Amino acid sequence: MVDPGAFGLALLQDLSSIEEPRLIEWDWIRENFWEDIVPAIQGHIFLSFVSVAIALAISLPTGVLVSRYRKAYPPVTFVTGILYSIPSLALFGILISIPGITIGPTPVIIALVAYSLLVLIRNTVAGLDAVPAETIDAARGMGLTNRQILFKVEFPLALPVIVAGIRIATVTIIGIATIGAYIAAGGLGKMIFDGINRSFPTMIITGAVLATALAIFADLSLLALERHLRPWARRRRA
Amino acid sequence: MKYRTKLIRAIPALLALLALAACGNVGSSGGSGPSAEDEGGGGGPTITVGSKNFTEQYILGELYAQALEANGFNVEKKLDLGSEQIADKALQNGQIDMYPEYTGTSLVDVLGYEGEYPSTPETTYQKAKELYAQRDPADTMLTPAQFNNTYGIFVRKDVAEKYDLKTLADLAEVSPKLAFVIFSEFKNREDSYPNMQRNYPAFDFGDIVIVNSIGGPIYQGVLQGEGDAGVGFTTDGQLASDELVVMEDPKNIWPFYYPAPVVRSDVLEKNPKMKGALNEVSASLNAEIMRELNAQVAIEQEDPEDVAAEFLQEKGIVE
Amino acid sequence: MGAILDVLKRPDFFELLRQHVLLSAVALVIGIAIALPVALAIRNTTLGAALAVNIGNIGRAVPSLAILALCQPFLGFGFDTALVALTALAIPPILINASTGLREVSRDVIDAARGMGLSGGQILTRIQLPIAAPVIFAGIRTSAVQVVASATLATFIGGGGLGNLIVEGTQRNDTAILLAGSLSVAVLAILTEVGFGALEKGMTPKGLKIAQKRGR
Repeated sequence: MVDPGAFGLALLQDLSSIEEPRLIEWDWIRENFWEDIVPAIQGHIFLSFVSVAIALAISLPTGVLVSRYRKAYPPVTFVTGILYSIPSLALFGILISIPGITIGPTPVIIALVAYSLLVLIRNTVAGLDAVPAETIDAARGMGLTNRQILFKVEFPLALPVIVAGIRIATVTIIGIATIGAYIAAGGLGKMIFDGINRSFPTMIITGAVLATALAIFADLSLLALERHLRPWARRRRA
Repeated sequence: MKYRTKLIRAIPALLALLALAACGNVGSSGGSGPSAEDEGGGGGPTITVGSKNFTEQYILGELYAQALEANGFNVEKKLDLGSEQIADKALQNGQIDMYPEYTGTSLVDVLGYEGEYPSTPETTYQKAKELYAQRDPADTMLTPAQFNNTYGIFVRKDVAEKYDLKTLADLAEVSPKLAFVIFSEFKNREDSYPNMQRNYPAFDFGDIVIVNSIGGPIYQGVLQGEGDAGVGFTTDGQLASDELVVMEDPKNIWPFYYPAPVVRSDVLEKNPKMKGALNEVSASLNAEIMRELNAQVAIEQEDPEDVAAEFLQEKGIVE
Repeated sequence: MGAILDVLKRPDFFELLRQHVLLSAVALVIGIAIALPVALAIRNTTLGAALAVNIGNIGRAVPSLAILALCQPFLGFGFDTALVALTALAIPPILINASTGLREVSRDVIDAARGMGLSGGQILTRIQLPIAAPVIFAGIRTSAVQVVASATLATFIGGGGLGNLIVEGTQRNDTAILLAGSLSVAVLAILTEVGFGALEKGMTPKGLKIAQKRGR
């Protein structure tokens, strides 16, 4: 087992015996900003954005369907839950063993979509559930069709919860997209892996910090949107 | 309510804007797309140059790519393929048109050759070339650069002194007491650790530490003490360090690993001009030069693209 | 299928599995050992709780690969480095849940307890902790699954674990090795989720379970 004393000592030894490479070479960052760094950010945003968009396109209609036909809810939650539990690198591995799926952005996007389905569907259903029955009745009484009720009454009221789900999904996707670089999907993860391969801490730190910043930025922006849409509720438990 | 509806309509518009911003990078992997200030590219047919993802491969990939650009080709670079298997798969299914491969590696690991290792560099190349041409789709392995980048098994200086290690046989004897730092493939590839064990049966390292990157991290790992011995490449700058001792190999157990561009034959037929450009680059390299270029990237932390550009200009291959 | 089983029979498979489990378990335990006392210490201060939740939220947004990679230039390669990174990843979910769980025990209940003459310490152990237990365990469960998943990435900084198999399979284009690695990690993660879920149910005090059933 691990001996805390020896571990601590080894840790200190590790810290003091690292070779020279300077941790951050600002020159490199300045020189390669437009060539390497910006494309990496763009690639990352592209991967994340496409995945969130596709995930929404699947989960919103599914969420509506499932909230109407409740029997389907447990199996849907079960399947998406299993998908969610599979660690990302493992899911990438499984996907690229399927003939016809080559390495590149495709398996990564498929995996990212799969990961976010659980949260998005669950939040869509929860959001729709929270719409008071009386409101729907009143709307029906006013002569609105079911479709109109969905788009003009239910969705707007469910929006805060749905956005909360989008927030969690987006942050998760941005994080896991970093790993996609391992199977040549590009993005900020590529800087991290290249940095490790080239023993070049600057690239590692730049990639890692930017990926983190992107995730936090998305988190805070969507949080602001969520709070804006729901000023009356106190902050939800995580 | 009206505000809400507006918001719902605004979101797709915002997302569309974001999509446009990100669209600059559809298809190419971030960081290795063609750079904005490239001259000479464009206009000609597009060639996708791939490479594996360690220092020497980045440099070779850049050298070939830039030479092609200087000869009127439009080049896309995909310098992040994790292994020869991945690179080969990408080559055969058209994701890339060429990549630099080592003669020995291609024989043993890509082409499924199971005979004895050819005894000269030239016969190694000829055999590989022959087998490549027989594939479907066929590939052409061009003339290799004239240097051998083979494995260098090394130990930390203090370990060498403690056990008086000079050759692989010496190392084999004490291997059960030591930890060996390697990259994942080395463990099971026919020409790698199993090869060592076949020739020096005493090899049985007490611990095998796998670091999934080639080159720098392995040297770091051994220097830090994560392991006592490691596998490096003979053209790596790090091997020259005083802190490390490379084990001698009197039995010459490794095949020859001379790097050569491997191009899909149909691409080469359509673009015969590629041959001249690529061969010019290969002809300009030797072990000294490769070591120097590798060191510039791995030790001085320069960009492979710049290192390649500088070299090509010096040699007059590119203005 | 048979080929996958062959991989599982390899001597190094068990070693990798052991490394993976060890790495995850130790990181989780240390994470709990850090997050819980902090949550307890700040349970009565509003500022502390807000800080904990915010730090926790930001911590959850950080990509796992980023933390593992960031530790590498400072701490080098190896098991120890991976352990530090994974411990950092384990803390946020536990911190958030423990902190909010303790604070959300209703004031009425606490006042009633104080009225009955219980001291602060007794309130903590007999009232707050049992009520907060399910939430705290939910946090531990989330953390455990996340740690097991992220331990797969330890392979990139030489930390070992089942990720090594996935990488090996990818490099060698060997589907059997790839699937053996991927499936075993997937199974491990699912087992962790289910196992801790059961633990969570077991930890819920009986009274709360009844209340939950009645749809409180």
